[in-house]
Amino acid sequence: MSRKATLGLLLAPGLALLAFGFAFPFVVTLFAPPAADHPDVLGKLGAMLTDSYVLGVLARTVRVAVTVTLVCLVFGFPTAYLIARAPKSRQGLLLALAVFPLLLSTVVRTFSWLVILGRNGLISDAVLATGLTDRPPELLYTEFALVAGLTQLFMPLMILTSYSSLSHIDPGLEDAARGLGASPGRAFRQIVLPLALPGVLVGGTLVFAGAVTAFTTPLLLGGSRNRTLATLLYDYANVKLDWGGASAVALIMTVLVLVVGWASGRISAKVATS
Amino acid sequence: MAFLLGPILLVVAIGFSSGDTVEFPPPGFSLRWFDQALSNSSFQQGLLTSLLVAAAATLFALVLGIPVALAVQRHTFRGHKTVETLFLSPAIVPELVLGFALFQQLMVTMRITALGALLIGHTVLLLPYAVRVTGASLALSDPALEEAARGLGAGPLRTFFTITLPVMAPGIVSAAVLSFLTSFNNVPLSLLLKGPGISTLPVEMLNYVQFSYDPMVAAVSTLLLAATVGAALLTERLVGFNKVFSR
Repeated sequence: MSRKATLGLLLAPGLALLAFGFAFPFVVTLFAPPAADHPDVLGKLGAMLTDSYVLGVLARTVRVAVTVTLVCLVFGFPTAYLIARAPKSRQGLLLALAVFPLLLSTVVRTFSWLVILGRNGLISDAVLATGLTDRPPELLYTEFALVAGLTQLFMPLMILTSYSSLSHIDPGLEDAARGLGASPGRAFRQIVLPLALPGVLVGGTLVFAGAVTAFTTPLLLGGSRNRTLATLLYDYANVKLDWGGASAVALIMTVLVLVVGWASGRISAKVATS
Repeated sequence: MAFLLGPILLVVAIGFSSGDTVEFPPPGFSLRWFDQALSNSSFQQGLLTSLLVAAAATLFALVLGIPVALAVQRHTFRGHKTVETLFLSPAIVPELVLGFALFQQLMVTMRITALGALLIGHTVLLLPYAVRVTGASLALSDPALEEAARGLGAGPLRTFFTITLPVMAPGIVSAAVLSFLTSFNNVPLSLLLKGPGISTLPVEMLNYVQFSYDPMVAAVSTLLLAATVGAALLTERLVGFNKVFSR
């Protein structure tokens, strides 16, 4: 068999599935939904981009995703650094513990926040117990709840990607900088940070994209008062049955994720060449 | 770490609660919610669907993905990079958007059943994992082994089954575990691609949580947690847990 034929045989089944189960439905749904009422996606999109409610949802989605990314960075990166500098024999276990939550259902991980933030939850009980107020604070269905839930959901991704770039940095480099008179802070800033940046960028992009597209958590913790693009899309598709509208939201969401991914790729490439 | 693992332990504690509603600390210890959860027919049905879909989609994704990994890692051809990106692209697109697209085109327009659409959707979702993780194990192995086998007179198929497949085995196990769990836990695709009698366990749990606030879901969560720990430990024994995540 010629090399070309072999190659074709290896790739064809996979490509066929991608075409049928991914590319085709995706393109048709986003750009040319053939539903009976011929929903005009671009028209809907135009209307949405001047609709203050939709713009509010978009702004909230971005605001929450940026906050989650920053919080994950601030707590996740140091955790990864500590794991990477722990004795080799313990790194595996620590990393496994940090990453294990990724293997659990988001429903399970979000349910715990209902318990913590809910009306009779841990925090409201604690606040009532102080006797300062007799009204429990409203925590659930707020942006705070969204940030807390999503941060817990995506922190492992940040730890994982930061760790994988940190673990490739020879600790000797940092020691050498220290030996040459650099303060610990300066050694960290000038040696570790630039080398770890690509991993951190990947982690940040994954967390941001995850937070923008997450569905279960905003549904349970944000409710109808604090919709994000994902829950708005679901609302259009399954409750309002306005498929043109759903396509338009899907388009906004996809573009947002792709643009951020592309930008982070560009920054990463710039850093790598400089 | 406390932030990551604490809430999960909280759920376990509530699963063993004897109370009628979710409260912490639980008023007492009991297994009643486990009993209820295990005899709940929609959870039973959901578990069955989830296991079936996860197993089948994992198998399909591996069968389709391993050849792609071989092509990408062992051959040079024009458009090499594009093909690789193409196969990773389902992972970049929002799952909810993919779910909506499949619901519209496959279920509404083409009238494919919910189970069929669910299987197609999950296979597409898992394909990037299958290609990347099995590809990673190929990239680490030495193609000279395969060339030696061919040089000694083995045919391409024999070379594949006696050399390449064993070399890829750890990658295949990792990909299978990761794929199975990814499919099993998926909500956005499963939520949009459901039909009469076809609904996965996480979707059933999600529906339940939205309308009732009792420890039953915590009990189910505890069982899932135990099963996942089991799977993780088994993978650790087979290939090393961290290898699963190293790519």
